[in-house]
Amino acid sequence: MTNALPSPETVVVISAFALIYMLTLLRKTLQGKFDLYDFLMLSMVAIIPAGFTLFPRLAYLLSHLTGVVFPFVVMFGALFLVVFAFMHNMTARLHRLERQNCALIQEQSLLALELKAKESSQASG
Amino acid sequence: MGMGSTDTCSSGVAALHAAAPRVLLIIPCFNEEASIGSLLCEIGAIGRGYHTLVVDDGSSDATSAVASCRSPVARLAQNLGIGGAVQTGIKYAARQDFDFCIQIDGDGQHDPRAIETLLSAYRKQPANITIGSRFIEHEGFCSTRMRRAGIRLIVLALNGLFSGGRITDPTSGMRLMDRSAIAFFAKAYPADFPEPISLAWAMRAGLTVSEVPVEMRARETGVSSIDGLKSASYMVRVLGYILLARLVRSR
Repeated sequence: MTNALPSPETVVVISAFALIYMLTLLRKTLQGKFDLYDFLMLSMVAIIPAGFTLFPRLAYLLSHLTGVVFPFVVMFGALFLVVFAFMHNMTARLHRLERQNCALIQEQSLLALELKAKESSQASG
Repeated sequence: MGMGSTDTCSSGVAALHAAAPRVLLIIPCFNEEASIGSLLCEIGAIGRGYHTLVVDDGSSDATSAVASCRSPVARLAQNLGIGGAVQTGIKYAARQDFDFCIQIDGDGQHDPRAIETLLSAYRKQPANITIGSRFIEHEGFCSTRMRRAGIRLIVLALNGLFSGGRITDPTSGMRLMDRSAIAFFAKAYPADFPEPISLAWAMRAGLTVSEVPVEMRARETGVSSIDGLKSASYMVRVLGYILLARLVRSR
C-alpha cells in the first residue's frame, strides 16, 4: 500500500492551528492562569497532530510498529492517552483541594468561635 | 492499627463515674430556624448541664441567630454537608478536651432525653461508639419499605464485612463517641454518607460499636434529602464505599 502524504493545505491548516493554539496557551500561562504542567499537557492537542502532519513518515512508522493500518488511529490514541492522564491528575488535584477547602472552612469557623469565647470572657472578667 | 481498646473504654467509664464527665452535644443544622430554638430549650430543660455546639452548615435563614441565644455556634462559611458539619463539632470536642460527644440532629427528630440513655448504655457496656437505634424496639419511627430494605442491606454489609459490633441502625444520626472515637474522627470523617461510612472506617480501625434503643420523632420541619430514586442511588453508593473501606487498609 502506498503511503499517502498530507497535502500542503493540510500542513498549512494544522500548523496554523498549532501555532495559534500554542501562542494562546503560552499567553495564559504567562498570565498565571495555567501552570507549566497544564501548559505541557494542553499543548499536546496541538503538538501531536502537528507532529503527525509535519513528519508523515514517522507517523507511518509508528502505525507500522503498533500494527495499526491508519496513522490517525495512533494519533487519536495518543491524544486520548494525554487527555485521560490530564483528567486523572486533575481529579486527584480537585479531590485534594476539596478536602483542603473543607478543612479551612472548619478551621475558620472554630477560630471565630474561639475568638468570640475569648472576647466574651475578657468582657466579663 | 486498632485504636479502640479496653483501656480507652475503661478510661471513658472512669470519666463517666467522675464528678462531671464533660459531654458535648453536637447539633449540625442547615436551615433549621424553626426547630433549633425548641430543641435547645428541651436540652436546657433536662438540666444536666450538657455543653452544646450548634454547627450552622451555611444556613441562609436565621438558624445562627436563633441558636446563638442559647448555645455557642460554629458558623461554616459554606455548606459542607452533614459530614463536614459533624466533623467540625468533633474537632471542637477534641480541642476542648471533652470526654464524650453526642451527635443530635437539629430538626427535632431526636429526643434529647435519649442522651441519658446513651450515657447509661456506655456505663453498662462501654464501646467507642454507641448508636441510638430506631430498629431494636421499632417504636415511634416510621419509614418507607424501600428505605428499610436499603438500611437492611447496609446492615448486612457492615456486619458481614467488619467485626467490632452488631449494628441494626447504621444511618442513625444520634450517636455517642468517646475520646478514642473523637480523636479518630477529628482526623478523618467521611464527607459523603457519613453515618454508615464512618462506622465502616471506625470498625476497620478497631473501634467498637454498640447500640441502644431510642425512640425517634417525626421531623419538625423540612423533608428528608434521601427519597424516591435518590434512595436507590444512595444505597448503591454506600455499599460501594463500605466495600472500598473493607479493601483499603486503615490509615
